Amino acid sequence: MNLGSLITDNLFGKPDNLTKAHRFYFKIFELYIVYETINLAWEWGLYTLKISDVVLPLGIANIIDISFMHDNYLPVINALAISLLLLFSFFRIGSKWLYAVVFVLLHFQYVARFSIGEIPHSANLVGMAIFSFAVGVAAFKDELHRYRFIIGFTIFYIGLGYFSASISKLIGTGPNWIDGRHLWLWIAEKSTDILSREGQFNYNFVQVLALNSIPAATLMLFIGIATEFIGILIWFRKLRPYIALALIGMHFGVMMSMNIRFDSFMIELIILGFPFPELYNKYKGHLHYFRRV
Amino acid sequence: MSVQKKSIKITLISLLFYSLLVATHEGEYWPFSIYPMFSKAGNPWTRALVRDVSNTNPDELWETTTLDNLNGNPVSMKSIGVDQIDYSNFVSKTKEWDEKRILALRNMLGERYLITQDWMIFKVHGKMIGNDSVVVETVPILLFKSDTTLFNPNLSSNYYSSE
Repeated sequence: MNLGSLITDNLFGKPDNLTKAHRFYFKIFELYIVYETINLAWEWGLYTLKISDVVLPLGIANIIDISFMHDNYLPVINALAISLLLLFSFFRIGSKWLYAVVFVLLHFQYVARFSIGEIPHSANLVGMAIFSFAVGVAAFKDELHRYRFIIGFTIFYIGLGYFSASISKLIGTGPNWIDGRHLWLWIAEKSTDILSREGQFNYNFVQVLALNSIPAATLMLFIGIATEFIGILIWFRKLRPYIALALIGMHFGVMMSMNIRFDSFMIELIILGFPFPELYNKYKGHLHYFRRV
Repeated sequence: MSVQKKSIKITLISLLFYSLLVATHEGEYWPFSIYPMFSKAGNPWTRALVRDVSNTNPDELWETTTLDNLNGNPVSMKSIGVDQIDYSNFVSKTKEWDEKRILALRNMLGERYLITQDWMIFKVHGKMIGNDSVVVETVPILLFKSDTTLFNPNLSSNYYSSE
């Protein structure tokens, strides 16, 4: 089997059929994405009401003037539309294109909200999952095929995203990126953000360790970039749980060293990184035994 | 066509679409991204803070100082419902401090607070010095009072406008 076929099989080859556990697992994943998307749509929509100027146009705002979303209630109406369309999509009521419409409306919501300079990535995996549902529900009719495609497609872009993050660092700075003194500068930057947010700031033990030792700070950065680099191996089914664990650990490390939280990334990695339906089907006999005891 | 073949074909088409969008938009077209954050290490950075300087000696208002020696009392962005990254980016990325931009910032922070308090907008600059230290300095750039906004008299007009 060549590499292309191997990757295709690992991403889209399983399961052979949908058990109750698979259907339940898929709906839990979908429910989480729907919940996060509704949450983001309202959070961004309500915050956009405070914005009255465009500093940095993002995405579609480079082509059209996104200021039509400011100084009025369009962001709230958009959040309402996204919420309703997601409910119809979740229960498979109406057109197969509803997730695609949500994807477009959510993009408008994002560029209206983040038009004043910030380019956050904390919601990217949720956005990519909506993209997966948009493409998967539109392109496939059969529930088994949708399952295989949507899960595989989402995992494909998770692996690619982490890998491209590591390559960006190697291109942007080079191997010297891991120099621990770079972490000092980021810790000072993020500390300033926390000071601005909270009005006060104290270093935690990980930050103190990094600031007191160049080798320790260098090791932290090396582990970070190495974990991102091997993130692409999440494409392979057998390695997936180990890579997911490593990536979750990396996000925990980023949270401790730089106060940056990626909660939705971690939750999505937990859901998609482990073969929960297969484990349930394998051990359900034992679960039954425990219930009887 | 098998499901697997159809799946990989759609994935590759979407990847082409994804690549075109990020390549033409500096690596970002939400939610598509090459995740370039932190790719350029060691560069100086600029963030921003707000302090309540209502009771600060006017002679000390415009001093450039360090985080440990700031005048006034901290204003927590969380307590006024503003995203601190938004605020920082708004301040650090604005090149032209015209009336519209100043009003937008006052509106973002909340005019109601400025009725009773004077708020100083600080830019915070961080950079590496030598091989083993990071220096962080704070520059007061705008003073928001209830009825007016003042520029730092120690900074040249080029600081506030490129024209």
